[in-house]
Order: sequence, then structure tokens, then C-alpha cells
Amino acid sequence: MNKKILFFWIFILSFILLFNIISVCALGVTPARNTLDFEPGLKKDLSFSIINSEHKDMNIIIYAEGELAKSIILQGDSSFKMSASEESREIKYSLKIPNELRPGVRIGEIVILETPVKTSNDQNYIGATVAVVTQIYVYVPYPGKYAEAELNVVNAEQGGEAVFVIPIVNRGDLGLENIRVNIDIYNKLNEKITTINSETISIISGEKKDIVVKWKADSPVGTYRAVATVIYDGETISLEKQFNIGTADLDLQEITVNDFSLGQIAKMEMLVENKWSEPITGAYAQTNIFNAKGEVMVDFKSATQDFSPLSKEVLTSYWDTGGVGEGTYEASVYLRYGEKSSQKDLQLKVSEDNLEIIGLGYVISSGRSSSSDGNSGLIFILIVVVVVLILVNLLWFLVLRKKPKK
Amino acid sequence: MKKTIKYAIDFVLIVGTAFLLLFLVGYVRPLVIAPLDGLKTTENSVLFSFEKADTILIDDNIEFTSPEKIHVKDNLIVNLKPGTYYWKVQGISQSEIRKLTIESEIDLKLKEKDLEKGVYDIVNAGNTVLDVGVYDKEDLQETISLGIDEEKEVSGTKFIGEIKNE
Repeated sequence: MNKKILFFWIFILSFILLFNIISVCALGVTPARNTLDFEPGLKKDLSFSIINSEHKDMNIIIYAEGELAKSIILQGDSSFKMSASEESREIKYSLKIPNELRPGVRIGEIVILETPVKTSNDQNYIGATVAVVTQIYVYVPYPGKYAEAELNVVNAEQGGEAVFVIPIVNRGDLGLENIRVNIDIYNKLNEKITTINSETISIISGEKKDIVVKWKADSPVGTYRAVATVIYDGETISLEKQFNIGTADLDLQEITVNDFSLGQIAKMEMLVENKWSEPITGAYAQTNIFNAKGEVMVDFKSATQDFSPLSKEVLTSYWDTGGVGEGTYEASVYLRYGEKSSQKDLQLKVSEDNLEIIGLGYVISSGRSSSSDGNSGLIFILIVVVVVLILVNLLWFLVLRKKPKK
Repeated sequence: MKKTIKYAIDFVLIVGTAFLLLFLVGYVRPLVIAPLDGLKTTENSVLFSFEKADTILIDDNIEFTSPEKIHVKDNLIVNLKPGTYYWKVQGISQSEIRKLTIESEIDLKLKEKDLEKGVYDIVNAGNTVLDVGVYDKEDLQETISLGIDEEKEVSGTKFIGEIKNE
């Protein structure tokens, strides 16, 4: 018996030892980047923190490199030890920006290097070195007029609004007066379906502004391409991005059960429509049926099925009703495809020779609708209170107060 | 009616109306609880906690020219990339505007795999996508891109991680 206990402890200790042998070397820094606008001769005090996320003794070496290396003056030692109890250490440095720099992004880097520490336990020794870098980006304006822009698209539901957001940064040393954006939208056949234009804005040197263009997405669901041209003071920037109208969506339309007999295996044929104008692959239905306590009584899945664009297919599931009593059961059917899923809640009315599916609406309701209803009620009450207040005041000040004495 | 009674009713109505209006304005104004104004963190997941509002608006500029609107009933955890954000909540009226900064953080971990062959697993445990330079002594062998929480097998003697250039 004692031998068994001894072997057990030897096994546990070996396991712990084996686990300890897998040693980890870790090093962190925050922030990973500091961004500055160029000002000739500017001296700026900055800092970063070295993070000892593994809480171990570390030998650290810090040095600057890159084209701004000579402008970086580290304060304190460039080589030091961090103890296991030291979670992080703040390092201060100064950046002395030269009077002249080439236009564009000028980069300086501070490298934090952990050199290997040999501990008394040699098994915890990692021979490799790890280093992390905190960067300093200095944006030097281009001579004259120069802008940088990107295109972001917020996808829209069909009939809703697609929003095009174009952040524009004036990287030149002159102000930009007439900036506007022209957006052409193409469908999948590469046919231009519309052109939209933004209003004109101006941006001073070094500043960033967003141009927002909205488009009523009354085209069929699917993938589209936006080609935006940013036009500013005679120059242009071309940008391009794909976006979707509508979302890939499968819709459970009906469930048919033929030749049902309680205690046998019920074949449930689920008619599902692909409302998306693209194929959907590997979709399947998962059904949960709940008992009276709301616990999942049974969980079954259909085989996977591929859907052509805008097509209808049948997903077949089998429910073994052995041991199931007559009655009405709550059920949820999930249509799963890729990382997406939609849920439909149903009631299954089970009798000896019939299974009736009582369909309920989708439970996917945004918090917005219910909350908006609450807000509407509250707004109504507040309006009533304010109106009553106004009436009482008017009645008093304009009528009752001026009423002549009898 | 006596003048004093008139004045008393005037006073009650004016003061009462003012109090009631102030109460209504205060009542409908959303209450923002968290995160605190000016919070700086390296955590990408931020819990927004508030009352009497159903929409969070988050933007990178205080004018909210292109806000991300998130409709929620209650508190919500939002994942944000490193950067400076302005946010407010909207119900019947709008809340104050608060500022939030997610600071970029590099956290590079190296796990020994085969010490003799110099093979390691390298993990990006920070909140930004990294470019990792893999060196054999002082010679750069390759630069690998490492997504957030991504782990890759590497072979070398020195590994330098920096934020991925845009």
C-alpha cells in the first residue's frame, strides 16, 4: 500500500518537474508606438514601460536605433536588472527633433533586449534572447499640398444606408481648401450602378477630418465594390473597397413531418431559404427540444447542406421519440453556417399519431426594439407632464390671476 | 384674491415648475458609470456600464463625425483596437462625452520546444499585431507576422518583436 502511495507521489513530482522544464521567456513594452508631428528643434520628454509578465529575474539592455537614434536620449542606465517582484519599470527618455528632416514618416526605435539569465536550476535556462521595440513615429509634412486617406465602409441591410467613411489627413505644410470625394459603386458584374459625391471640406496642415457619405442601399443583397476618388486642390487619391448589402442569411420557412407515430423515429424535413446572393456551404440545422423544466431534453442535428444563391433546400433531421409522452414541447431550431447562426423558436404539439409544428417568430430581437418601446412610453409621460405644466402656468398667469374681483 | 395669496401661488408655480423641469432633465439624462473619463488601459476589452440609455456611440474624434453605434439594453463589453476614443451613450437624451485610450502593448513570449535544435514556440500575448524578426546570431533569417494571441514555431537565437507597420 505504502509503495503505491510512493509511486503516486513520484509520478506527481515527475509531472511537476516535466512541466517546469518547459520554460518561458517573456518580455513586454507599452506603448508600442508614440506618434508625433514634426516641429523643428522640439524637445519632448517621453516614457515607456517594460513589462515583466512572467515575474522572473531579467537582465535588460536598452538601446536606440533607426534614423532618429541620435535624437533619442535615454535617461538612466541602459543596462540593468529587473527582479521577479518587479512587474514593470518606467523608462524616461527625451526626443530632440532635428531642425530638418525629410518629409514623410521618420522612425526611431528603442530596443529592449532581455539577455539570458542562468539560474541555479540549469533546466530553466533559455539560450535565445528576446527583444521588444517601442517605436517613435515623427510625421514630417510634405512641401505643398499632400493628403493621405483611407476608405472604410459600414455594410448595410437591404434598403438601409451604407455609410462610407473616408478619414483624410493633411500631411502637407499647406492647408487644403477644396477636398471632396466621388464614389462609384460597382456590382459583381462590374457594372457601375451609381455615383455619389460628398460635400466639400477644408483641412489645415497636420489635421485629420472624416468625410462621411451615405448611400441608400436599395440594390439586391450581395457583394459590391466602392471606388472612391479623393479630389483635393487639383490632386487625387484613389481608394477601393468591397462591401456587402444585406447579410448572409438562411431562413427556416417550414417543417414537415410525414407519417408520424409516437415512439418511432420522426423524419423532420426543414425547408430553408438562402436569402443571400452568394452560395452558402456546410449549413446544418440543430434542434433542441426542452422538457417542462426548460431543460434540453433532446439535441439532434441534420446533415450539412450547400445552398446555391437565393435557393431553397431541405435539411432533414431525425428525432427518436421513444419515451416521449404526448404534450406540447418548446423547441429551438438553430441554422448554423460558418461562424453564423440564426435561431427560431417553435412549439411541438405531440400526439399519438401527429406532430404539429407551431411556429413562433424569431427570437433574435435587438435590445433596441424593446428598449425603444420603453423609451417611447417614457417620452409620452414626460410630454404629458410638460404639457400639463405649461397649461397650469398659462391658466394661472393669463386667466385666473387676471380675473377681476367680483 | 389677496395679493399675498397671488404671490404665494406665483412662487409655488414658478419654483415648482423649475424644480420639476430640473428633475425631468436630470431623470432622463443617461448615467454613465464606466469606464472613467480619461481612462488609459492596455486591455482591449472594455466594459461600458451605464443606465437610462440604449445606444453607445464611439468615435475617434470628439465631433463624432463617423461614430460606431452599438445598440444595447444594458452594460456591454466592447473590443477596441489601440487608440484614443471618445464615447457617449444615448437614451432620451445624451450623456456627457468621455475619453478612453487603449494603449498599444507588446508582450512576446518564447516557449522552449526543442532546446538542442533551437526550436521554440513564439506567442504574441499583447494587443497589437507584430512583426517578429527571427535572427540566427546577428543575421536576420526572416520576419514573421504574428496576430494577437497567435503562436508560431520558430527556430533561431534572437527574436525581436515590434508593432506591425501599416
